[in-house]
Amino acid sequence: MVPVDDIRARARDLLQSGKVRAVLGYRRGTAGLLAEPAFMTTAEETAALVLDPTCVENLALYLVNEKKRMKHARQSDRRPLGIVAKGCDSRAITVLLQENHIRRDEVVVLGVSCEAGGMVDTRKLNKALRGKVATQVRFDSEGDINVSHLGGSTTLPARDVLANRCLECARAYPLDADFLFGEKVEERPYGPRFTAVAAFAETSREERSAFWDAHFERCIRCYACRAVCPMCYCDECVVDSTSFIVGPTTTADEKADRVRWINRSATRSENAMYHMVRAMHLAGRCTDCGECERVCPVNIPLRLLNTMLEREALEMFQYTPGLDAEQPSLISSFRDGDPNDFVR
Amino acid sequence: MQNAAAARHDAQEFEPKVVAFLCKWCSSAGSDLAGVSRLKYPANAVPIQVMCSGSVSPIYILSAFNKGADGVLVSGCHPGDCHYLKGNYYARRRLFLVQKLLQFVGVEADRFRMSWVSAAEGAKFAEVITDFVNDLKALGPQTKLKANR
Repeated sequence: MVPVDDIRARARDLLQSGKVRAVLGYRRGTAGLLAEPAFMTTAEETAALVLDPTCVENLALYLVNEKKRMKHARQSDRRPLGIVAKGCDSRAITVLLQENHIRRDEVVVLGVSCEAGGMVDTRKLNKALRGKVATQVRFDSEGDINVSHLGGSTTLPARDVLANRCLECARAYPLDADFLFGEKVEERPYGPRFTAVAAFAETSREERSAFWDAHFERCIRCYACRAVCPMCYCDECVVDSTSFIVGPTTTADEKADRVRWINRSATRSENAMYHMVRAMHLAGRCTDCGECERVCPVNIPLRLLNTMLEREALEMFQYTPGLDAEQPSLISSFRDGDPNDFVR
Repeated sequence: MQNAAAARHDAQEFEPKVVAFLCKWCSSAGSDLAGVSRLKYPANAVPIQVMCSGSVSPIYILSAFNKGADGVLVSGCHPGDCHYLKGNYYARRRLFLVQKLLQFVGVEADRFRMSWVSAAEGAKFAEVITDFVNDLKALGPQTKLKANR
């Protein structure tokens, strides 16, 4: 993969010269295999920066969180934030730029290319290791992944342990980066995109219905998928309204008149509504970082919904989210040639 | 045996609930025209006048299903005729995605429909509703998204 020393040196430079107020990157975690996101504010801290196939998290989320925090902290430090961004993270940043959630001069993007690699899926890895606890993961030559575990190491084919989104990734390098580390590799060896969606769309309606019923039945409404998504930054969400406050003076009429689009109860119908609304909100914005699916405690295949809409956007409207911060978003634009034959 | 007969009877009696979001400038006027022209069409549709088909948020549609609609119709002006110039183009793109999403999670394709009906097309409006209701009768009640709290 990418030489980590270069990234460390660049991060140190930026912090020493005071060009950024912090660098957002990864460091070795204390719990489990995965690297953890870290705010590095001093040059010394950058020594801990790592980049390996365990840096799965999407750091763009922390740009959103940091913005919220800054608003409340009344800080005057207006220097930009450095951020280590993989291809998917940088596309997420581009969508945030496109929506004017952040300005380009608020971030310094240290873009890293995944080259022919990607990030591991711990679920797949644990399965492949059959109970052994992995301590370190690194790329070997030619698409193999070397996993160290207690009492030895194993080499596994990358295809078997990489996250699904990495196997389907079309652009594993950042497009809009201030500094780029690693090679832009266009050809990825893992096969065509949208294989899962295409296969699922082929199944019969009854099968699809039963599949989603089973999954929506299991959703416990923990909102981890919402919390982890950098695009879910609204202050008010359709499932928990902040602008309607029930106080001692709230009358029964006011409570009754309030529109409840979706109830919070974790029943199948409400869960289906929640996930469909979420998918619609992410249409043309989701950059397929796969975080929602990764954090789901009950393993609902949320990426399937998002990539389905991504596929429709690409095939019907030739739209790919996160490529260009200047282009209008998917549903705030149209073309004369949009599909019309479904309308009667 | 008796149950089967009763079920068949129920299936014949089933009257689908349709929620119809009609644009104020075209389809709503079209439904008016159907009325004043005394055209006969099923009374299953609850019309909801919206200012533009482009103002129909996906959550309106999902919420209608959630609250028990068997079918949802969104009707606006023909492309090029929008009172707000391009609202129906936005609607077309957005609701295309809604339709695909509904189908992807296993809702029957016939439960959501979009149509262009102008203010002069009373007959077409009656036809759209008649077709829709007939299709829905064949499908039966919608239970997939209906609230079960």
